[in-house]
Formats: sequence, C-alpha cells, structure tokens
Amino acid sequence: MHELSICQSMLRVVDGAMKAHEGARLRRIFVDVGRGSTVEPSLLREAFDVIASGGPYDEVELVINDIPLAGRCRACGRSFEYQEIALGCPACGSVSVDIESGLELNVRELEIDD
Amino acid sequence: MAKVSVQEKMQSENERVAAANRAAFAKAGVLVLNLVSSPGSGKTTLLEGTLDRLPAAGLRALVIEGDVCTARDLDRVKARGGSGVQINTGGGCHLSAQMVSDVLGRLDLASADVVFIENVGNLICPSTYDLGEDAKVVLLATAEGDDKPMKYPTIFHESALAVLNKTDLIPYIPYDIGKVEKEIAVLNPRCEILRVSALKGDGMDGWVSWIAARLTAKRLGAKRAG
Repeated sequence: MHELSICQSMLRVVDGAMKAHEGARLRRIFVDVGRGSTVEPSLLREAFDVIASGGPYDEVELVINDIPLAGRCRACGRSFEYQEIALGCPACGSVSVDIESGLELNVRELEIDD
Repeated sequence: MAKVSVQEKMQSENERVAAANRAAFAKAGVLVLNLVSSPGSGKTTLLEGTLDRLPAAGLRALVIEGDVCTARDLDRVKARGGSGVQINTGGGCHLSAQMVSDVLGRLDLASADVVFIENVGNLICPSTYDLGEDAKVVLLATAEGDDKPMKYPTIFHESALAVLNKTDLIPYIPYDIGKVEKEIAVLNPRCEILRVSALKGDGMDGWVSWIAARLTAKRLGAKRAG
C-alpha cells in the first residue's frame, strides 16, 4: 500500500509542471499506470481523493490510463498481452522477450484553464 | 482550456536521489545490496550469519536497517560486531532513496566493502523504489509456501538474486523447492537462486562467494571504465 507516497510523488511532478503556468487553474491530471507498475489504480485514486479533499486539488480530476502488459518475443516474433507479468514467451517458451508496455508510472499531461 | 504535456515519471525525484546515492557508493567503491522480503523471512538472521563469515573473506560490512518501528534489528547486528544505522519509517511500508540519503553522512563508507540495506518487511512496495543499490536480493522462506513468486512477480523481475531461506524446514512442511525455482526462472531468467538456511549455516558459503564475486565485478568494472 505505497499508493499514498506514489500520489505525493505524482503531485510533486504536477506542481513542478504548473510552475511554468502561474495563475492558471488546473482541471485534470492525466496519468499512465501500467499493470506491471505495482500501483493499483483504484488505490491511487483513493489516495488522491484523500490528499485532494479540502486542499488545492479539491476540484481537480485524476484521469488514469490503465495500460496492459504487453511483450514481444524475439524468438518467434509473436506479440502478446500478459495477464500475469512474466519474462517468458507464452507461445514458444523462449525467455528472449521484450516488455513493450505495462511498466509505466508517468504523469502524461495536464489540462488547465489559462 | 489548454493541454500541458508533462511526460515525467512519478518516481523522477526518487530516481534523482537514488542516482546521487549510487554515485556516492561508487566513489567509495562499496557494493550495496538491498535486501527485500516479507516480514519474518530471515533478513536479519541472514545478516547475522553473514557478519559472522565476512571477516574470514577479508570483507567489512555496514548495515542500514529499515523498520517501521524499533531498533531491534540494528541491536542484533551490533551484537554480532556489525555497525550501521537504523531508519524508522514511522508507518511507511518501504525505504526511499531520500531516507537512505539522509543517513549516508553517518556512515563511514571508506571503512567498508559491502553495505547491506535491510528494507522494511514487505514483498510489494520496496520493488518500486530504487535506493541506489547495485542489486536487489529477494529472500523467500520455505515456510511462506511454494506459490509465492507468481503472486508477487515484480520483486523477482527486479532482483539479481533470490535466496530461498529456511531450507532446514523442508522435511517438515509441504513445499516443493523445484517449483519455486521454476517459477522464478519463468519470471526472470537472469535472477540467480541460492538455497540457504541462515540459521543452520547451510549455503552461507555460497552467499558470501556471491557477494565477493559481485564486489570484484563492480570494482573491476569501475577500474576499466575509469
């Protein structure tokens, strides 16, 4: 349950980005959360609600982009989506696999009123 | 209404501090291992056995102990002649790079070859936080059951070594060590595996050899790069 501290890190990034837009009003925060990132979107949202309540983020909406885990096998060339994260190819068993998405934990963009 | 592109990792601040820690460790030429496991897997017992054996290998160690409360683990380390510092997270479920950075000034890195960071007992949250270590080492005790790697995959992706501890209990419990090793290999083929009983001493020589080999590789690598 580290979503509270992840949320605080997220808001530090947001505050940093907002410095270049002083006086603007923050409306929405768009974030990418991969399924292999160890962050649970519902818990991140709860943490955000707790931190935002009554503070400067009270009216701000958190939009979470849930990104599936996907990989590509170098041996057989197949692309696939993992339910459970594993570094082996579910088709041919090769361990020569590149994870292509699902590890993200990013603040992507903000929506502001100038 | 306007869109502002950010494209920044939420963990960017932790990564920045972790990089500074890593640079400080590299400058001192010390190997840093981040020990992660659930509570009660034997991290401190492994450290006790390690501190007993390192002097024979000519190695000196420092310990950074992370716990929610108390300095009990640091007391155990000191009782074996070890030295280090205690971090109490006060409820936090993991160490962060900043917490480690805050205690670096209290450690004489020049007097050590290896720094062990014993993380807070937790198999999930520590995997997301780089502390500036050279490698994460995950401990998994036999008594936790043989179905754990697939249930907590991320820490196995992040770890260079899995220590399967408490092998002395295997005759008394339903546990298939081959199944655990197979699951770890599927999750991360690069993760090495050691079978250890920190309490009885089985496998401890292999663990000390692993540490020595990592230290040598780090110092050689630095020499070649420099």
